[in-house]
Amino acid sequence: MGREIGSEPLGNFYTNGKVRKRREWRGVRDTLYDYTRWLHIMGILAKFIVKPRNIKAFFRYRWMSNYLAVPMMVDRHTQGLRGPQLRIAHLQLDLVAEDVALLLDKLFRGDRRIGNDKAFSDKVVLMDENEMTAVMMGFPTLKGLSRESPSVYISVLLNQYAVCHYLDTVQEYGLPGDVCPMPAAEAGMSIDDDFPVLGACAIQCNTTCDGSLLSNGVISKRLELEDGIPCFQLAAPLRHREDDVQEYAAQEIRNAIAFIEEKTGEKWDWDYYFECAKRVNESTRHRLEWLEINKTDYPQVLGSSFALYNETNYMAICGKMPAFVEADRKISALAEQGYKNKTKVAKEYRHRAIIWGVQSHFYFDFLVWIQNCWGILPLTDMLSMVSTRILSENDREQAVYDMAWLTENMIMRNRTHGGYKVLLDELWEFCEEFRADTVILWEHISCKALDGMHGQFEEKAREKGIHLIWVDHDLFDPRVITRQEIRDQVNRYMRTVFREEPLDPTLEVIHDEHSW
Amino acid sequence: MKDLKHLYYFEKLLEDANNELVREAQAQGRKCVATACENVPEPLLNLPGAFSVRLRAPRTGSIEMATYYTTSFLCEYTRALLERAMEGGFNFTDCLIVPDGCTMLNRCAENMELLRTMPKEHFFYEYMEIPLKADDNGLALYKVQCQNHILNPLHEKFGIDISDAAIREAVAQHNRVCELVRQIGEYRKEEFPRITGYEFHILTMATYAAPKDLLIDRLEETLEELKTRRPDEKKPYRARVVLVGSEVDDVDVVRLIEDCGAYVCADRFCYGSFPGRDCIELTEDEDALTQVCRQYLYRGQCPRYMNQNKIQERRRYVDRLALEYRADGIIYQQVKFCDPWAYERMVGTHVLREDYRYPVLSIDRPYTTGNSGQLRTRVQAFMESVELKKLQGGVK
Repeated sequence: MGREIGSEPLGNFYTNGKVRKRREWRGVRDTLYDYTRWLHIMGILAKFIVKPRNIKAFFRYRWMSNYLAVPMMVDRHTQGLRGPQLRIAHLQLDLVAEDVALLLDKLFRGDRRIGNDKAFSDKVVLMDENEMTAVMMGFPTLKGLSRESPSVYISVLLNQYAVCHYLDTVQEYGLPGDVCPMPAAEAGMSIDDDFPVLGACAIQCNTTCDGSLLSNGVISKRLELEDGIPCFQLAAPLRHREDDVQEYAAQEIRNAIAFIEEKTGEKWDWDYYFECAKRVNESTRHRLEWLEINKTDYPQVLGSSFALYNETNYMAICGKMPAFVEADRKISALAEQGYKNKTKVAKEYRHRAIIWGVQSHFYFDFLVWIQNCWGILPLTDMLSMVSTRILSENDREQAVYDMAWLTENMIMRNRTHGGYKVLLDELWEFCEEFRADTVILWEHISCKALDGMHGQFEEKAREKGIHLIWVDHDLFDPRVITRQEIRDQVNRYMRTVFREEPLDPTLEVIHDEHSW
Repeated sequence: MKDLKHLYYFEKLLEDANNELVREAQAQGRKCVATACENVPEPLLNLPGAFSVRLRAPRTGSIEMATYYTTSFLCEYTRALLERAMEGGFNFTDCLIVPDGCTMLNRCAENMELLRTMPKEHFFYEYMEIPLKADDNGLALYKVQCQNHILNPLHEKFGIDISDAAIREAVAQHNRVCELVRQIGEYRKEEFPRITGYEFHILTMATYAAPKDLLIDRLEETLEELKTRRPDEKKPYRARVVLVGSEVDDVDVVRLIEDCGAYVCADRFCYGSFPGRDCIELTEDEDALTQVCRQYLYRGQCPRYMNQNKIQERRRYVDRLALEYRADGIIYQQVKFCDPWAYERMVGTHVLREDYRYPVLSIDRPYTTGNSGQLRTRVQAFMESVELKKLQGGVK
């Protein structure tokens, strides 16, 4: 027990209850650091809760109670980390937590049922969940807010059972249980009328899959026809690597901007856009640097905190908040230091893995688990392998195509759409670049894009001599496949194929069925 | 009623994807252009020297190989197509042009390509981007896609004439078939219809699965025959229904529904005649390609069209059909695991029930229905409820 990585048997913390037995001891310095960050998170929560309208929101929206579990979530994602990795993870997760608290605060300020600040609401443009917010990069006075992100997407990261009620709702309404639970839960929440209602208009997008496209129809039915909030459907091409769809994509961006201008009365500001574009470019350069480090023997920026941070920064922030670039710089400095000092993130490195497919939200901290339990390094994941194109910083015409490109290349959709090359062929290229011997393939059982390539993944992995570990899950619904059932799929492979023993045997079976 | 003279012929035609007329057309040296979605404009695949075949997998048995490649969560239609391709059932085709209409269809075609299922030397695959909204930008995209992924490849690989005149000729032939189908379908409006929903489904499906020009004679004869066909004196159904939803190419689906006492008076599903057998009106003041694309774009009833106007239009379309064909109820169906129609069916069912006041049966079904007892029970129960409502003078 102490400052060395792997000195605490992490599985012993689980009690089969909602929270863990105690905080992790990481040596004096790291424990103190971790504790101050825990206090910081509690501070964010307290600051959020003291506002009367936010308390009201806790009673109005059933999903709000999940936010009490934020400190627990951060603890889960930092399990076993020490030194620079602990600091990197906190920089990432804490900033995401602050951003989400701000988002919630704004949502409730404008919400007709809670704050009902009409003037503020008139400056809000609702954005889709999982949607690239590039079309908001030129509107400094408007707020592009996503209702789905905090209510559905993040809720499940906090509490594994967070959206089960909404899945039941939509299925009672008549949706089969075999569609993706993410858009299904959003549709369920809309049917339940459990989204905040605000905004001058909304920009919906066909994001990741057919389900997301179709569930937008359910949501816009309520938004447009009942709440009177006009919606623009931004249709991003599916075959996003093809040259002959780019003009269509660019025109959609022009149309979306014109729609926002019309509904809000605001004008597009090119200076602000290019300011944001510069920040996006800087973030991209940092991300590329981290990925370069991860290709070496001493990877530094990895795991679920990297994935969550990148997702927030890439899509929701899109250069609009300087705090993220500042965090990028600090992360790069820590990563470089860690690399120079040959700092390791786990007790022992046994396998280098690319994490592919669509990961389970109710078990996002799986990446930390494979690291601590089996010594598998999650070098990068599919959702983090997004566009690295540098945006134009002064050409207005090119900028429209850049925004279109970003919108087409949203997280997840850049792999689930666009043909098999972006999903299948590029995986093997990444394996080579990152010198990975293993692929952990999240098979989200309702994701038709992934399922449709199942056999091809199997055959190509065999051809290339890469270990392919399938991890089935149902994205948002732990009742279908539990966290332990997910772990068991890895456990079985590690024992029967690799014939290895776990680094931390207490993690092999964890009693977390009732945990947040 | 007396059997239709050519019904058996059409039924036999549908027993095999590589049917007699396909073989006849290929013997004439024409190229077989396969597709698998209603969003690919058919006339462009039927230019002089080519003919289209909408893929289906009749008499599907095991789909285990396809299930290995795509898991059991993909819709059975796409798995059945992949299985059939792996078995060599589509070896007769010369190319496959499919849109990313839905992810599953896209994956099905990609697996066919990766598994090198089609043996012909010059076989090619084309994947099209189809607009998700009906507007000017969508039309511009549609044209570019049709040019780049249908016309140019057909011309470059097979020397097919893709001129405006050739497109107009193909449209004229397409329209002749559509007129015949539509005229035959008109008889479904009668109180004592002289054609059953099943018979009409067989005729319509044949127009998707075989070269159109080779069907015209028999369709014309059938239309003539219907003019004097005497319907049954006793009303042959308990209620009239519009069948709405995803792809139905299984000959047993409509038969099973009608065996339960329903009469399928209108067919709004992929492989149905609405809107697939609407004529395409061409004028001389604009190029034919633009006009074809515009009409496919604006008449399309596919759930992938995502703007609310188009969504509402889909409900109104079903309502219009129900009124025109005097339906007592609506059956919303989808092939199991079809994501687009899962959502469309869910919302459509509620809207047509609550806003338009129709009795609606909402079902998902396997690709091959056969004699599904479960489906039969549900349709029978629906028939009873519709009858009861009529007796009680309730909703429509």
